[in-house]
Amino acid sequence: MLHWLSPGSQRATAGATGIASGATPLYRGRSLTRSRSWSTAEARISSRVQPFPQVARKMELIVALGLIVLKVALLIAILLLLPLPLTWLERKIAGHMQQRMGPMRVGWHGLLQPVADGIKLLTKEDHIPAEADRFLFKLAPILALAPPFVVFVAIPFGESISVLGNEITLYVSNMNVALLFIFAVIGIEVYGVIFGGWAANSKYAVLGSLRTCAQMISYEIPMGFAVIGVVMLAQSMSLIDIVRAQADVWNVVYQPIGFFVFFVAGLAEAQRIPFDLAEAEGDLGAGFHTEYSGIRFAFFMVSEYVIMVLVSVLVVILFFGGWNGILLPLPPLLWFALKVAFFVYVFMWFRFTFPRYRYDQLMAIGWKVLLPLALANIIITGILLS
Amino acid sequence: MSRALDRAGTWVGWAFFADLASALALTFGYMFSRPVTMQYPDKEKWVPYSRYRGHHFLTRDEAGEIKCVACELCARICPCDCIEVVPYEDENGKRHPAKFEIDTARCLFCGLCEDACPADAIALGQQYEFSSFSSRDLVIGRDDLLAKPGKAATGGSVVAAQLNTEKNVLVETKEPRGYDWWRNIRRT
Repeated sequence: MLHWLSPGSQRATAGATGIASGATPLYRGRSLTRSRSWSTAEARISSRVQPFPQVARKMELIVALGLIVLKVALLIAILLLLPLPLTWLERKIAGHMQQRMGPMRVGWHGLLQPVADGIKLLTKEDHIPAEADRFLFKLAPILALAPPFVVFVAIPFGESISVLGNEITLYVSNMNVALLFIFAVIGIEVYGVIFGGWAANSKYAVLGSLRTCAQMISYEIPMGFAVIGVVMLAQSMSLIDIVRAQADVWNVVYQPIGFFVFFVAGLAEAQRIPFDLAEAEGDLGAGFHTEYSGIRFAFFMVSEYVIMVLVSVLVVILFFGGWNGILLPLPPLLWFALKVAFFVYVFMWFRFTFPRYRYDQLMAIGWKVLLPLALANIIITGILLS
Repeated sequence: MSRALDRAGTWVGWAFFADLASALALTFGYMFSRPVTMQYPDKEKWVPYSRYRGHHFLTRDEAGEIKCVACELCARICPCDCIEVVPYEDENGKRHPAKFEIDTARCLFCGLCEDACPADAIALGQQYEFSSFSSRDLVIGRDDLLAKPGKAATGGSVVAAQLNTEKNVLVETKEPRGYDWWRNIRRT
């Protein structure tokens, strides 16, 4: 694993050692020496008690691993709970945009409505259609749910915070290939949607997954190309380096076309209106999850919301300076959260403003508009950089 | 020249998504406008207009005597035959209804009984909450009809109310005058 993560660059080695010694600060060479001096001091103390200095190193490894496990657990807990307020928020925004009030009856202004919905989904009958492919039908929700969670391993939420005198980094791992990792893993999510539609053996579901196939192929490509401009500017694929490169000027100033292409492709990736053809309520029942009920349906919903947050996070990191603030000296983590919240709101705002694109229009936008724009963006960035 | 400018403007607007931006601005404006939701039955209740044809009621005259003369015209004109009147004659030789039953499950609230009544005794009032689990409960007798609320005086408003789950009816609060529901309607 260490070998895979260290292609020889200074920053990447710092990041790779960061994985091994999570409790200590990880940046540049400085942190390396500090962590080494800490461990030697520890070894000196422990050598008096124990004649084996390897024990200290083992302890260090265990602490680092424990920290990673703790971070991952916290991340999963946050991501699993996040859809609850988001569904409430979405319904409230929808209501007020349509001059309604949204949920009002469960709790104060319907705040407990998501909890009630969760209980409802948990206690509902778990129905599997008679003609369904049972294995794929059960596999699909897990395939849809897991990749968006896995992706968050590679996503930084800030540099580091100090807790009880120890510097704790706000990311699980600083991969030097974070962007590639994200695109590779998020591609798997599509299989969940495709299998779900296929296994249900219903024509609406199959149509939904067919549309998803076509949509994902046409939108992952412009999305990938849109990111290349950012990578060229930061000279790195590590998301932390990309954010650090935006300390003065955000990438959206240099890469407006890249931002546009990435955002539109992100809307399609998250399968939100105007590109939610896979689950078009109007023409396909509920699209690929027509036949799903109960907690399996909830898996698809959670996956959808986590991807929405993921795309917002990626937009913020790649184009809007990550945790770099402007004007107001707020804590970096708060800046990051505020920006992400804004983009999540924009997603919901779009949903209740725009109609759905037709299937052929969707393909035309993907191949005829976004892809040429993304390619032109790369060429322009290359010319301006050289 | 101006046509060319218009066309150029259209293309510039198309390139910068002027139509999408105006749509977003519209929904954003609506998000901060007042919701038109009437919070029935939790907080508010609609008092219908005085022309509203709700539950029937029988009226009394100044002396407190029932106005109905038991002529049975209402029963005769009723298109769904839901009124049943049995008359009697008191010691002064006046006709009164001994039995006056309306089967509200069959009634279609056309208001013809109100039109036909020569004594202005029966009319359709403002009450609209009389759903029931049993259709037998929907046959309303004379004394119940006399107790029903009459036509709304301040119709077309929304008054504060609260749901009384014990009696399964809505209890209005003391506030007699509500607000005009139409004030929330956004006119563009």
